[in-house]
Amino acid sequence: MWPRVNTVIGTSAVPDPDADLMLRVRDGDEDSFRVLLDKHRNSLVHFLYRMVQEQPVSEELAQEVFLRIYRSRASYEPTARFTTWMFRIATHLALNWLRDAKHERSQERLDEDRSSGMPARELPDRKLSVEQRMVYQARLQEVRDAIATLPEKQRAAVLMHKYEEMEYSQIAGVLEISESAVKSLLFRAYETLRARLAYMVTGGPR
Amino acid sequence: MNCPLLFEQTDLLLDYTAGRLDSATAALLERHMESCARCAAFRTEQAVLWNALDAWEPEPVSLSFNRTLWQRIDAIAAEPWYRRLIDGFRFGAWKPALPLAAAVCVIAAGFVLDHANAPTTTNVAGASGVSITEVDQAEKALDDIQLLRQLDSASHPEAKNSKTM
Repeated sequence: MWPRVNTVIGTSAVPDPDADLMLRVRDGDEDSFRVLLDKHRNSLVHFLYRMVQEQPVSEELAQEVFLRIYRSRASYEPTARFTTWMFRIATHLALNWLRDAKHERSQERLDEDRSSGMPARELPDRKLSVEQRMVYQARLQEVRDAIATLPEKQRAAVLMHKYEEMEYSQIAGVLEISESAVKSLLFRAYETLRARLAYMVTGGPR
Repeated sequence: MNCPLLFEQTDLLLDYTAGRLDSATAALLERHMESCARCAAFRTEQAVLWNALDAWEPEPVSLSFNRTLWQRIDAIAAEPWYRRLIDGFRFGAWKPALPLAAAVCVIAAGFVLDHANAPTTTNVAGASGVSITEVDQAEKALDDIQLLRQLDSASHPEAKNSKTM
């Protein structure tokens, strides 16, 4: 039997400097809010972008998250890590948006754009040949589609685990489920993704 | 043959491929994978998936993000006081008042129950100042009079007959 081990990343017992900053915001220190904003803006927008896969929407939702944090500053109590609280708000907003009927219409427009051959994203490396670019775009689109087809909570769990490098306990705090449920979600999600992207192991698109 | 690691402690393998295990446990796992083809295959597939996911870099955040946010925050500050109050309640400012509200509810409930259980010495007749015991006594007296009349008529039947003639 394998021993239960500690991961390299921290545990929830570690002091939370963000919570200290938020307590200062509660006491009227707006500069502390600026620090929190600058520290977490990018990771929050990126998480939301990967959740909803639309850049303007992800920024709008991220602004709403920061606004809610600011508006609720007076009643803030550090009962959880600040990032857990922030990502909980973000996840709720993203899930609500995804469930909104309006999204279906915009998704249809997005699909039309994709089918019309519009590139999803410019390549970072301009030295790649046209063929390499096309392969890269195809693979990137496959990854995006694979993530997008995951059930919402599995998607959120994978994004927090993979890109935000959150611990299981923190993901559990965000999704308000047990730690074992998070592990189960991640196991199923990665299993689906491995099956869907299996061709990348053998090389070449399907 | 299925390895129990794949079913019972998948998180260990996930943490390994993510590079989040301490070196001692990682080394232990690597030795295990030398003899476990299933776990080794899992590591390979998960590593490929990890690389594929790494390729998905998000767009840079708009330069106007902070400016727009502060404009919205300034707009909140410029809202009338009642709007800020409503928002305060929407976003949790009511939470500190919750224990006080609960205490008021308990006291109110206790007051109501206390009055509901108080002994009632008056009822419908209470409005005229007559107690229940007085009404009972009057009814008993009427019953007694009726009983006496019945006894009287039974002991003097001729009187009753002459009345009926």
